[in-house]
Amino acid sequence: MTVTLQDSSASAVIEARRTYNEKLSRKTDQTRATWFPLALLALLAALPLLQFVGNYNYVLHLVLFTASYVAMASSWNILGGFAGYVSLGHAVFFGVGGYFSGMLLARYGISTLITAPLAGLVAAAIGYGVGLVTLKVRGPSFIISSIALLMIARILFDNWHFIGGANGLTLPTNDLTVQWAKLPYYYAMLAIAAFTVWSAYKIKHSKFGLGLRALSKDEIKAESAGIDTRFYKVVAFALSAFFVGMAGAVWGEYLTYLRPNIFLLILVSANMVLMCILGGKGTIAGPVIGAILIVALNELFVATMGASEINILGTGLVMAIGLMFFPLGLVGTLARSGKLPRILNWD
Amino acid sequence: MLEVKNLCKHFGGIKAVDGATFTVEKGAITALIGPNGAGKTTAFNCISRTAAPTSGEVWLDGERIDHLRPHKITAKGLSRTFQISRNLGDMTVIENVIVQSRVDGLRGLFRPAMSREEKDKAMSILDFLGITRIAHEDGHNLSYGQKKLMDLAALLMSDPKIILLDEPAGGVNPSLMEEIVGHIRALNDKGLTVLIVEHNMDLIMRLSHKVVVMAHGKVICAGTPDVVRKDPHVLDAYLGGVLEDEAA
Repeated sequence: MTVTLQDSSASAVIEARRTYNEKLSRKTDQTRATWFPLALLALLAALPLLQFVGNYNYVLHLVLFTASYVAMASSWNILGGFAGYVSLGHAVFFGVGGYFSGMLLARYGISTLITAPLAGLVAAAIGYGVGLVTLKVRGPSFIISSIALLMIARILFDNWHFIGGANGLTLPTNDLTVQWAKLPYYYAMLAIAAFTVWSAYKIKHSKFGLGLRALSKDEIKAESAGIDTRFYKVVAFALSAFFVGMAGAVWGEYLTYLRPNIFLLILVSANMVLMCILGGKGTIAGPVIGAILIVALNELFVATMGASEINILGTGLVMAIGLMFFPLGLVGTLARSGKLPRILNWD
Repeated sequence: MLEVKNLCKHFGGIKAVDGATFTVEKGAITALIGPNGAGKTTAFNCISRTAAPTSGEVWLDGERIDHLRPHKITAKGLSRTFQISRNLGDMTVIENVIVQSRVDGLRGLFRPAMSREEKDKAMSILDFLGITRIAHEDGHNLSYGQKKLMDLAALLMSDPKIILLDEPAGGVNPSLMEEIVGHIRALNDKGLTVLIVEHNMDLIMRLSHKVVVMAHGKVICAGTPDVVRKDPHVLDAYLGGVLEDEAA
């Protein structure tokens, strides 16, 4: 069968095709729910009002703790999720941030709320330097190099008397009443978490983010596509250290003491990794959901089983079962199958 | 335009490329052929610096490029495809294409991943290749042939001066092959220089202006398709014959 087209209908076809193409090129994700994280943030910002009607310090502590992990997991996600380099050494930047700002507080009395960005920069600079060396290898070798970094840092901090060694360092407390003492850190941590999530979103949707996603799949291809993979990776490492460092700074003053066995724990790193994996590596909402879930699960199991070893088993079990059904993490798997609720689509 | 001088690439004792010298003229389609293991792909890898050459020089437009890193070479206007399509699975076709567009400076790094101009450009390239309908498909959902076309599309996004195609028609069906041949010819007509590795002799003979034949890592013959076809060295290389001087 042959089809013959009149001149007019041929141009109509071309016209139709052009508009179709234009429609395709303009296609954007219309289901993104930017309002939801903003509403959540507003709600959490208003939460301390509860202090007027009672003592909700425990609730504030939980939110603050979760926010710190939201910041850290989202930050880890820049390197681990976007660029595909799993680091188990990110606790180092938590420690560096905490100690840097903590020392400034202890020696000069400058609050970490002011020096936190500086602590982030110091962490980023260290991340940049470490990245130059360790990002030459990938996969298991990189993971091991990151653990080595953590162990080196731990030995260093344990034996560095200027910063208190293994005994740590006590920081001055603020002079607010118990009712309001948490608030400065609460808002600071909330701001850091929000800033981190926003930055992760901006990074994911930038040329840089696209390049990271490309190199996470195939570094040789990415390099031959014109991406300076070495530079991208190192910058990703520095950025992902930056936010962790900021969170560490505020966390130190909040705790009022610094000790290597609080900051430089592989558990802290592992938490960031697990949160990202459970929530969905490489997504924006994933680390947030993961952080909320893991902190909530931990609290739940500690409350029901006590702080024995069994509570860890409970969390581990839930994680294992969760990942059986959601291999790409909650957000990742739901998005892949097109079942992601709109409120969790932040990408 | 592209000059390869005395290029060598050794893997341990194996001399995959052993002193290959050839040139690619501006605006021409040059084919690099040879039996399996002749060193064609390795030569490609050394030119695009995906692998570091052991020795030798590569010149692009009078500039030596064999010490540059691959992304720099791409920025100089030399882009390549891979024999086995290396597409980026979790990214859509349009992202796969746009990832290849040029990024300048630190500020360029943090601008939005896909500007409207880039989207329009990518769509016009996809339109040229006739694959706009898969623009928002995930890379790993594509068929083999579609991947080959997507590779080509991504290549064009970087505004190359010269493209290196590693078996663009390898493993695709005859009608798609014709389509790809048509695209390569159309691109060449627009002034793009092409260097192509291919096993399909029929395609090579029809398409290329110049053929470079490699065997055992060396260039054994170069010239127009007609000259190469009649060259006894080439016949020997392909048919496994023994050259007289070797036999002697």
